[in-house]
Amino acid sequence: MKSFVPVWLAIALALLSAAALKAQEDMRTVPNDAFVSPQRPPSVFVHDAHNEAAGIDECNQCHHVYRDGELVADESSEDQRCSDCHAEEAAGDGPPALMDAFHGNCKQCHLENGKGPVMCGECHQRQ
Amino acid sequence: MHTIYEWVAGPLTWIAFLIFFGGLLYRLVRLVTLVRRKEPFIFTYMSLKYGLRSILHWSLPFGTVNWRLHPVLTIVTFAFHICLLAAPIFLMAHAILFKEAWGVGWPSLPDAVADGMTVVVIAGAIFFLVRRIVRPEVRFVTSASDYVLLAIVAAPFVTGFIAYHQFFAYRWMLVAHMVSGQIMLVAIPFTRLAHMLFAPLTRAYMGSEFGGVRRAIDW
Repeated sequence: MKSFVPVWLAIALALLSAAALKAQEDMRTVPNDAFVSPQRPPSVFVHDAHNEAAGIDECNQCHHVYRDGELVADESSEDQRCSDCHAEEAAGDGPPALMDAFHGNCKQCHLENGKGPVMCGECHQRQ
Repeated sequence: MHTIYEWVAGPLTWIAFLIFFGGLLYRLVRLVTLVRRKEPFIFTYMSLKYGLRSILHWSLPFGTVNWRLHPVLTIVTFAFHICLLAAPIFLMAHAILFKEAWGVGWPSLPDAVADGMTVVVIAGAIFFLVRRIVRPEVRFVTSASDYVLLAIVAAPFVTGFIAYHQFFAYRWMLVAHMVSGQIMLVAIPFTRLAHMLFAPLTRAYMGSEFGGVRRAIDW
């Protein structure tokens, strides 16, 4: 009977790591851990499905780079976190605050294109 | 849904606020014109000091004999009116929309606090409804329009509460929330909800008469 324990343990571990990989694969929300006290659930965002539906091919359409307030056309920033540039509180005429940046990137684009969620709870869904 | 949302959140909101502010201004100008024409002697004893003194006493919970005589009503009415004003003005979602449209933001309450205040407003509305039905002296001066007004005021809070918690039909509930808020704004200048504007003026008038003419206090 004793020899069964490691077998079960191995199976459990395998299942756990498979689950972790799967979770990473279909990440469904924008992480909101950069906010000190987030007021709403994290925004729903299925990266690949969204970009396919929206016809977005270039990473820097969202993962933009601004230098001295100017958009740098051929650079992209997908290796950074949004919060690396966008602080929770905007300082002077620097980059917009993190929440404004998210709303500007997502909701503004949806409004301009007449597609995609624009109401608070359409993105910030309670499970 | 995009079209409906943009229509309701855009032009309809503009129209509602224009009628709200324009209507209040109209009522104020009309009131002053009427007083000047019909009872200009009022201006001879209107007093800033006695007016503000009366407003101050009536703005404090239990600050008047009448407030102390009706402790439950006093607590409910203060809680109701404070939450009714503070929750929508300092709601984060409203401040965000305003900032997106105008570029100006202001501090907002944590959502959980605003949520609690919404519950207070809804509970207060239920209290006033029951009071109108149960208390004979209130029922005597109640007409159908009072129930309609109570519903107009409660509706944005009930729909906002359901939409915030996403209990059901989120999108339609949010549209209903915005439209009911606009109905309330439009109704304020032209119904008894105009006490938002007139209550302090009436109070100032009473305070002036009691303080300056009768030499008595009115609280």
